[in-house]
Amino acid sequence: MTDLLRRLVRTPQGAIGLLLLLVLAAVCLFGPWLAPQDPEKIDFLGRFRPAGAENWFGADQLGRDVLSRLLVGARSTIPMALAATLLGTVIGSVVGTASAYLGGRWDEAIMRTIDAVMAVPGLLLALLLVSTLGNGATNAMVAIAVAFAPGMARVTRSVALNVRNQDYVKAAIVRGERGSWIVFREMLPNVMAPVVIETTIRVSFAVMLFATLSFLGLGAQPPASEWGLMVADARQYVHQAPWILIAPSIAIAVTAIAFNLLGDGLRDAMNPRNER
Amino acid sequence: MTTPVLSIRNYTLEYLTGAGPVRVLQDIGFDIAPGEVLGLVGESGSGKSSLAWAIMRHLPKNAREVSGDIRLGDTDLRALPGRELTRVRGRRIGMVFQDPSTSLNPTLPVGRQITETLVTTRGLSPKEAWTEALALLGHVELRNPEALMKRYPHEISGGEKQRILIATAFGCRPELIVFDEPTTALDVITGAKILELFTRLRAETGVAALYISHDLALVSRVADRVAVMKHGKLVEEAPADRIFRAPQHPETQILVDAVPRPERRLVHDQPGERVLLAAQDISVHYARRRLFRPAPPPATQAVGFDVRAGEILGVVGESGSGKSSIARALTGLADFSGNIRFDGRPIAAGRAMDRQYRRAVQIVFQHPDSSLNPRQKVGEILARPLRLFGGNVADVGKLLEQVRLPASFADRWPHQLSGGQKQRVAIARAFAAKPSLVICDEITAPLDVSVQASIIELLLTLRAETGTAYLFITHDLNLIRQIAHRIAVMRGGELVDLLSIDAIDAEHVHPYTRDLIAASPTPVG
Amino acid sequence: MSLSWILRRLLLIVYTVFVVSVLVFGITQVLPADAAVTLLGENATADALAAIRDRLGLGAPIWMQYLRWVGHAVTGDFGLSMRTGQPVGPEMVAALGRSLLLAFAAIALMLVIAVPLGVVAAVRQGKLADTLTSLVSYLGVAFPEFVTATLFAMLLADTLQWLPATGYVSPFEDVWGAVQHLALPVLTASVILVAHVSRMVRSETLDVLHSDYVRAARLKGLPERTVLMRHALRNALLPVVTIVALDVGYLLGGIIVIEEIFAIPGIGRQLMVAITARDLPSIQAGALIMSATYAVANTLADVAYAFLDKRIRYD
Repeated sequence: MTDLLRRLVRTPQGAIGLLLLLVLAAVCLFGPWLAPQDPEKIDFLGRFRPAGAENWFGADQLGRDVLSRLLVGARSTIPMALAATLLGTVIGSVVGTASAYLGGRWDEAIMRTIDAVMAVPGLLLALLLVSTLGNGATNAMVAIAVAFAPGMARVTRSVALNVRNQDYVKAAIVRGERGSWIVFREMLPNVMAPVVIETTIRVSFAVMLFATLSFLGLGAQPPASEWGLMVADARQYVHQAPWILIAPSIAIAVTAIAFNLLGDGLRDAMNPRNER
Repeated sequence: MTTPVLSIRNYTLEYLTGAGPVRVLQDIGFDIAPGEVLGLVGESGSGKSSLAWAIMRHLPKNAREVSGDIRLGDTDLRALPGRELTRVRGRRIGMVFQDPSTSLNPTLPVGRQITETLVTTRGLSPKEAWTEALALLGHVELRNPEALMKRYPHEISGGEKQRILIATAFGCRPELIVFDEPTTALDVITGAKILELFTRLRAETGVAALYISHDLALVSRVADRVAVMKHGKLVEEAPADRIFRAPQHPETQILVDAVPRPERRLVHDQPGERVLLAAQDISVHYARRRLFRPAPPPATQAVGFDVRAGEILGVVGESGSGKSSIARALTGLADFSGNIRFDGRPIAAGRAMDRQYRRAVQIVFQHPDSSLNPRQKVGEILARPLRLFGGNVADVGKLLEQVRLPASFADRWPHQLSGGQKQRVAIARAFAAKPSLVICDEITAPLDVSVQASIIELLLTLRAETGTAYLFITHDLNLIRQIAHRIAVMRGGELVDLLSIDAIDAEHVHPYTRDLIAASPTPVG
Repeated sequence: MSLSWILRRLLLIVYTVFVVSVLVFGITQVLPADAAVTLLGENATADALAAIRDRLGLGAPIWMQYLRWVGHAVTGDFGLSMRTGQPVGPEMVAALGRSLLLAFAAIALMLVIAVPLGVVAAVRQGKLADTLTSLVSYLGVAFPEFVTATLFAMLLADTLQWLPATGYVSPFEDVWGAVQHLALPVLTASVILVAHVSRMVRSETLDVLHSDYVRAARLKGLPERTVLMRHALRNALLPVVTIVALDVGYLLGGIIVIEEIFAIPGIGRQLMVAITARDLPSIQAGALIMSATYAVANTLADVAYAFLDKRIRYD
């Protein structure tokens, strides 16, 4: 594990990604304490105040401090995206591994159905689900998880099939190991690496998808300072105060970039060709 | 004295890696005279391919040429700028590669790939090039060149592709052709025919050649002189007929000794009469019928044989002959129909293979890289069969010593081992179960000859210690003739011959068996 | 290309549409919206509600309702919109036409930018051009459409006033107006696609440049230009067909947001309106049509790829 970390830090993407994520994690954990002001404090005198000593990133239409809202809002954005991706990965990998393990007609039927489900664009599927479950952050999270599951199932299955054809798995079958041993001890540890990489990269999509749902009014609800919601609120005041729009936009982008970089770094670090 | 076609002097090459510069070629020097064939032999990592790339001026970006000259006739190749290099390649030096299936562009018809070369290197018009290409293909004994020219690479066989590439190389009329293992990726008989073609074309055109191979026996047959490389150094250079008879350098000696020679038997005992495993009418089925798609024919058709206690039964055949399918059927990895009796007990199907059978019949796979789980240490890998088959887990160290590895290897990860060491661990895993039959599926194919020889030696020692029988699957007839008591010959899923080793030269053997024997090059001298 | 291969592809489309229809119908049926209440309003009498439920067949078992819906849908009849009372089918198809115009324009713009970008990055691997391209692709995939759309609108429409901020003009009526109105949405839609596709083109090109046959072509003495144009690019760009087809799915999702922001009456906006209004027939029709479009696009790409790449065996 420490070995992996060392190799990860040695790749430029991994190092930058990890650094950005550490910062973001700190913001998620300690955001409310780091925030210089109360994010809900309304100050009519300070409406649309540009960035300066009083409000580092400026103030919004109600005079609320943008930086403070960002710092606190991280909590309602990033953990949600993470949870959605993890849930989607768990559902997807169970289905994908099962499909690869069952093989034959079952595998064919499951994969064709998953292909068919993937014909529904991810955002549309999430929209349909949220409109059924009702608006709100938790429902948006579940919707994103469900929308991600088919894709993760495909990735897991192709990795699992590849591993299943390795001679060490055949050796285990030949010596008469139980199915559970083969799946959990021989296959799973080898399937994990590519799945972890894929999951990491998908978190960045989840961040964007979650923000999009909030932007459309279906995800996080006001007065939460979720970043997508902040962009949606800011749109009508673009003329007066572009910074209230730009700040959350950049926050979303930085998060997405961080997870992308970490995923690419992990891919390089986990590549067996680079070992030793 | 005539100017040599190729002259290399004091050539030293390094690759810059994260861990500093690594020397791959050290003070290389040799000449190739006009019309001469120099064979270059070495094991993997000896630097022979790097030398080929250096001559072709196609070195990787991290290569650094420390010193030396490479001259083609009067031209200093190292001094040539990129533009002029294009005029040397193809026109003055040709090259034929190891794997014909990847050396042709998959999306262009093969005819186009010949003519474009002729147009560039010989300045022919497209029409002239087409006529010339037809003549060339006819000359390398390809039937119906007209039709062949319009085909795509995936539509023709590996042997045909290699013929096309050879025809192209000779068609450019270069001074020197570099052959990089041109028969390694091909089946035995196809390879032998390509070799015949090489010899004929070479004699006709008198072009000089550098023939690179890992196979000392083969090189000694095609080359005038042989140069032996080891760890980036040229250790010996001698006329081809002398290298086997009187190797000078110890490294050459090791290589020569490692070459399998059918007349040098390594096994002298006779197996018992007791039949250990009897297989009858074994047909292996892989794919089933699908929608709009008929089921493919079975991989093997009603094959029957038996293995006696302590016997070494060799199974030979080319790729696709069904020899590995037999291994998969006997271990329950593939569905089959037919009967297996083991120690007199019938085994109905893969699912019916019980603990006792699975303990008694072990398998070692071809690829050492994929046969050990990369996420388990050697100790864990070996402990598992011990635990499963009633052994003592503390015996891991003993097992390792049994396969001539230090007991401390139990703490290593598979990626820290060499290919030969991995194969030894795989053998130890098989022997952990105290088996009475071990199936070896091409286990020496990916290894260098010297490593191969030591693995064979190990297998024979283990057999002497435990009395295990082997089902030894291979494409190397010379190797199997050294160790097997009987040999089964397979072709196209059928068993065409099952002979005692003494009968292999007899009159009544199947013509295919005879072809195989003729196609397996034995050393000269 | 054998007949059985084409037959199987067609069967796959049918299966895909079937699965999608079950999915869409299933999800929308669980919607906590009572169609009858939606139609008549909260204050409707119980009798009136019962009457309309009976007329809509809402009392029947769910699979009967599904069969009736599918039965009508295959004839193009998706029912009447609860919001406007107009037939949903024709409305959605017209909207789809406008969306496809946007989608095709975005794909065309993306190809023009992404392919040269990816190829140059691969050929000049490790050089400045490569680093810049990878920077562009990292940035490109990090901005969701609603952010890019808003930023572009802020810059090009509000500040510079080069382009109209919202609205749609049919190209049949006013070509120049249509181009102006489509510019921002197309630009927005192509950003993520450019980032993704240029990256894929780069890695495909690198693979091919390192392949044995390109090396063989170089060592045969072919000029570098011929090697690149005839041997490398052709093979590197083939898989792009499939990659682009997969991205169509992403594009269709993105179109929902883009049409919403730029007020383009395409199928995405219709869907958003329908979802907000809980207009069941519109949601069902829109989702099914959109997904079927994607399935067809993918199949077309497969067929095109099969035509172009002679290696594929259709067995």
